[in-house]
Amino acid sequence: MIEFQLDETSGVATYLQLVQQVHQALRMGMLEPGDQLPTAQQVVARLAINPNTVHKAYRELERAGLARARPGLGTFITRSPSGTDPATQARFLTGMTDWLRSARSAGLGPDDIEAIYRTAFRTCFAEGVA
Amino acid sequence: MIRLTWLQFRAQAVTGAAALAAFAFLLAATGPHIASMYAASGLSSCQGSSCENLARTFLQQLKADGGYSWLYLVSVASILLAPAIIGLFWGAPLIAHELETGTSALAWTQSVTRTRWLAVKLAVVGLAAMAVTEGLSLMQAWWAAPIGRAVGHGASSGGSIFSMNQFSTLVFATHGITPLGYAAFAFTLGVTAGALIRRTVPAMAVTLAIFAVVQIAIPLWIRPHLLPPSHTVIPVTSLESTSGSTQSTGSSGNSFVLLTQNLPGQPGAWLLSSGTVNAAGQAVSTAPAICFTPSVENSSSGFVGCLADHGIRETISYQPASRYWPLQWTETAIYLALTLALTWYCFRRLNRRRS
Amino acid sequence: MIVAVEARGLGKQYRRTWALRDCTLAIPEGHVVGLVGPNGAGKTTLLRLATGQLTPTRGTIRVLGEPPAASPAQLARVGYVAQDTPVYARMRVADHLRLGSWLNHGWDNELAQRRIRQLGLDPRQRAGSLSGGQRAQLALTLALAKQPELLLLDEPVASLDPLARREFLRSLMEAVAEHGTSVVLSSHLVTDLERVCDYLIVLVASQLRVAGEVSSLLASHRRLSGPRRDPSTLPAGQDVIEQSHTDKQSTLLVRTGEPVRDPAWTVTPVSLEELVIAYMNPANDIPARRPRLGVAS
Repeated sequence: MIEFQLDETSGVATYLQLVQQVHQALRMGMLEPGDQLPTAQQVVARLAINPNTVHKAYRELERAGLARARPGLGTFITRSPSGTDPATQARFLTGMTDWLRSARSAGLGPDDIEAIYRTAFRTCFAEGVA
Repeated sequence: MIRLTWLQFRAQAVTGAAALAAFAFLLAATGPHIASMYAASGLSSCQGSSCENLARTFLQQLKADGGYSWLYLVSVASILLAPAIIGLFWGAPLIAHELETGTSALAWTQSVTRTRWLAVKLAVVGLAAMAVTEGLSLMQAWWAAPIGRAVGHGASSGGSIFSMNQFSTLVFATHGITPLGYAAFAFTLGVTAGALIRRTVPAMAVTLAIFAVVQIAIPLWIRPHLLPPSHTVIPVTSLESTSGSTQSTGSSGNSFVLLTQNLPGQPGAWLLSSGTVNAAGQAVSTAPAICFTPSVENSSSGFVGCLADHGIRETISYQPASRYWPLQWTETAIYLALTLALTWYCFRRLNRRRS
Repeated sequence: MIVAVEARGLGKQYRRTWALRDCTLAIPEGHVVGLVGPNGAGKTTLLRLATGQLTPTRGTIRVLGEPPAASPAQLARVGYVAQDTPVYARMRVADHLRLGSWLNHGWDNELAQRRIRQLGLDPRQRAGSLSGGQRAQLALTLALAKQPELLLLDEPVASLDPLARREFLRSLMEAVAEHGTSVVLSSHLVTDLERVCDYLIVLVASQLRVAGEVSSLLASHRRLSGPRRDPSTLPAGQDVIEQSHTDKQSTLLVRTGEPVRDPAWTVTPVSLEELVIAYMNPANDIPARRPRLGVAS
């Protein structure tokens, strides 16, 4: 079963971190359709977070069609997230590598690149809070 | 709630029980000897005027055996002090300690209302307080019963510690049912002080101060007037002293002091006050100068006869012996009324703001 | 939606100072509420009013629909842990549990014993010799085992080391997960807020500064940074909570119902901690809330 972590310094909302970790686990093959997600009680016992946060994360996964709650039994993965096919991944990997090369030749160092990446990442994903 | 009260009261209860046991042991060890001395004195079968002498002898014997005087004093003192100690150590901390340590936030947020909390605590500890104090009193009364009987036969002159009659301050306060009233009052006073002051040690000090004042004021000013006293006029029979002056210096300043301890026909009465009146019933403070002349003082009837000849008599106000129990009940009722008033105030206070 | 705690114009005055003034809020049940504010802000006063330990000078307060401490039934529905977690120093841990069972009808003795075992507390140990963290856990056990609907906790973790703090919060969250208990947790610390609370109340200088669900607060606040600008030029509907200016740049924290579309601004979201600190800062003038029409909450 997946074990959640919490990064308090990342600035990302807790429930979103849980959602992302599920996505990550699916991508890496650690979670497969039919697997059960930890119960709210299990997550809370490990992370000492508000159980509503867990419920919110699982509702988000349900909304995205990745998981389903079965009353009395738990929450289960229903399918893999779209966009994990290797072709799409390879395409974005190439694009990313090209971008990095051109940033480097423009004179940006690793720290500049990291700052740009984090700002863009935060803007893009945290806006989802609203 | 009763179990919780017992759990918190346990240590104090054990101390009280130990004190009671020590007291009982001391009295039980010595009581039978007093009883046997009384039996040997012949007082139980005495008749008439011989009783007074036998009684006096018996009491002198007791006094000579120094231990008994001391024990009598200590036992009376214990009964007198018990309510104060209870008020300080059982009463003052009851609410104050909870407020001081903050445990009131724990005690009063369970599923029991503050009213019930206080009611059970007051009832359990208050009843224990009354039982302990009255227990001490009853044990001492059993122990000193022979002494009381001797005093009742008229041996209450002599100034010894045993010769106090039942109305004397020490005896009245430690026998009968007054100890119950004192205990209830002192305990409730302590609880109330603790509720108001919210700190145990200051509450103890205030409780002691107020209780002491009350215990001095009531016997001094209230008790004699609880029931209307009786009055009588008798011939002057005994004097403590006379201050004479020669005729040449005039008659002002001629005074004498009465010391009547026993009222004829009223054994065991409580003499409240005495004064002198002349034949017309008016109060006088001096005797005719002639009574102070050496010729009168040396005559057969003496000073006293001279006073009688001039119609100078003694007026006495007193409470007859039969008033003992009515006075006991009345005084105890007053203390219980005070207790109830304080209790009511405590409940009011507890259910109001607590900051 | 059932209201766990409702206050209307609630105020408490001591002699000449107001410990709490004009407090109006409606805390919904089923939430873990963070009651945040600096020391002396009125948090303890609010909680003591809610448990009936104080009576209001002004206004009203209702807990679970009834006045506080109104009856044994109402007392049974509310659990409370006071600041410094008072316990009876000379009583043993086991005696405290017995106290709980004697004074509470809804006492779950099995739960209490299990917790004591799991926490590793020695039942025969006197409570006075427990460590701060152990005392807090004992007090929490007493509050949880009476199975309340609402738990009021006054700075229970303030004097605990980080490990004890985490353990305490873990126990608390487990209880919430298992029983759906509503919790109001006061603190002058802002750490652990986002992980534990989903409703926020900020009290400063005995007055209420903000109250609302964490998700809607985060959704309705933004940090704007851009070229120097006078805040009064902002459109209506954007209330400035905090502002700072250099000669070239302005950074504003605004409360708004709508996305900020002005391209001059770089808009970033605000973390809960930053939001709380902004509201806690007495130098910041909090503009009054507009009527509910414009603000999503």
